[in-house]
Amino acid sequence: MSDQKHAERRGGLADAVRLGTRAGVYVLLGGFSLLAITTVVGVLGPMLALDLYTPPVAAWWTVFTAVVVQGVPFLLLGACVSAAVGVLVPERVFTRLLPRRQVLAVPVAGAAGAVLPGCECASVPVAGSLMRRGVAPAAALAFLLSAPAINPVVLVATSLAFPGRPMMVVARLVASLGTAVVMGWLWARFGREEWLRLPAKAPAGTGASRVSAFTASVQHDFLHAGGFLVLGSGAAATFNVTVPRSVLDAFTASAWVSVLLLALLAVVLCVCSEADAFVAASLSGFGPVAQLAFMVVGPMVDLKLFALQAGTFGREFAVRFSSATWVAAVAVSVLVGWWVL
Amino acid sequence: MTRYGPAALLLLVGAAVLRISLFSDLSLRYVQAGLRPYLIVSGVLLALLGVVRAVSAARSARGGTTAADGDPRPAEDDGGHAHSHASGPRVAWLLSLPAVALLCFPPPALGSYSAAREEAARAAEYVGAFPALPAGDQVELSLTEFGSRAVYDSAYSLRGRTVRLTGFVTRGDGDTWYVTRLRVACCAADATAVKVEIRRAAAPQGDAWVTVAGTWHPEGELGSEAAWPPVLDATTVRRIAAPSNPYESR
Repeated sequence: MSDQKHAERRGGLADAVRLGTRAGVYVLLGGFSLLAITTVVGVLGPMLALDLYTPPVAAWWTVFTAVVVQGVPFLLLGACVSAAVGVLVPERVFTRLLPRRQVLAVPVAGAAGAVLPGCECASVPVAGSLMRRGVAPAAALAFLLSAPAINPVVLVATSLAFPGRPMMVVARLVASLGTAVVMGWLWARFGREEWLRLPAKAPAGTGASRVSAFTASVQHDFLHAGGFLVLGSGAAATFNVTVPRSVLDAFTASAWVSVLLLALLAVVLCVCSEADAFVAASLSGFGPVAQLAFMVVGPMVDLKLFALQAGTFGREFAVRFSSATWVAAVAVSVLVGWWVL
Repeated sequence: MTRYGPAALLLLVGAAVLRISLFSDLSLRYVQAGLRPYLIVSGVLLALLGVVRAVSAARSARGGTTAADGDPRPAEDDGGHAHSHASGPRVAWLLSLPAVALLCFPPPALGSYSAAREEAARAAEYVGAFPALPAGDQVELSLTEFGSRAVYDSAYSLRGRTVRLTGFVTRGDGDTWYVTRLRVACCAADATAVKVEIRRAAAPQGDAWVTVAGTWHPEGELGSEAAWPPVLDATTVRRIAAPSNPYESR
């Protein structure tokens, strides 16, 4: 019995030794590999990161972050207004305020864009919410296009950017409103319902749950549009860093080319509509009509806005609507510029 | 998206916005100073929304999906997401990219790399008499103001005055160097550079921040191409730490 116990103890001892050795080997091996990994990562990682973190990459990060940060307050404002429209304002208000006939409703909605202070990020969720509340898509789209371009904040910024040239402000107002109304009418005449994927239905709020419906709507709109804002900002930063603006000075000679070029530049630069007048003014090598086209196209068609629209109304809609709007905006600004400036 | 995903995301974005606007002045690297109060308000609102969302998610988790008083969307968010706006909440995760970047390693302010590429375009001002400079031994001027007065002021208000200019160093051809500043109207995406050529002093290292005191060195006719960029004869060049607001506003 004692022998057996002894043998058991010896067996236990041997087991313990074996276990101990195995654990020791594991710890040693694990420690070595851990050490090796941390050394390699710790030395190579920063070297690689420093290699990749060149001035253009740093500039990309800064511009990318800047466009997102700049967009956040406006996006939140848009989500709040949109939630307010969707939850707090009864449907009959819109049917009573807007003329029954679409032909008349479009210009009224376009002019109403002057009320929403902010840049283009704010107007997309609001337009979606208007459509959900039974506003005719043509009218809501006219509002979507005009709101970021003709509100007082943007017009004041424009007058500051072009001191002593008040006609620039007038031209911007007329051309932007004109494009918005033309696009609204075009949609009323040729638009098809199936192109437009109407945004998800807002939660129906009644009585006590109105507050929670409001916050839920704000959260949903902000998160939804925010993701697309990030996508658009990435595209904007990429163009900003890869194409220096000074390259453009080579193309200032021809009036037609310069109008088309600045209209394209407005699409890729994605400057917020409250600042684009300053950018337009700094492109002083170009004629006033080209500068006007830059300011009319910018708030209506750009990469960031395209991503937002694709997210809210569907890609099929965004492709058709953005390209048609670009053509209309260029045509109207050339006409207005030729007439006013 | 998971049950607590939206709440976490809202809190993350709110925290990132507050970190650069309320708890530091990092926002000045990205956007113009006037936007800061709006950023603070947005950050607070986002954090509140995140808390509300988390509370209602927790409540609906405890009480099943009969959340008549809570969030009216959980059923839609959890399950039936095969329909058209499925990309919505998923795409929202992209927001965590800039948010984490801002929280952990905020990107630097734009520097000489961007200044060299966004060579400004002179301000569209016209030759005319400017108001006199304030009295005093040395006058602190922004690069924009110095440039406008040097190139367009028919009253020659800079003549015989010692001015102080602040900016970072950029190099030109040969030994030429400039004190440069980027101007921002809304956010860093619209930055353009203004610069003043410095003479009679050796060039410091590129991208270093300096305050240069000196006198205006007239060159070329007023308003002509030859008058640009304006020139300063330096008397002292002092290295300084990068200012919290790296940009000049318009």
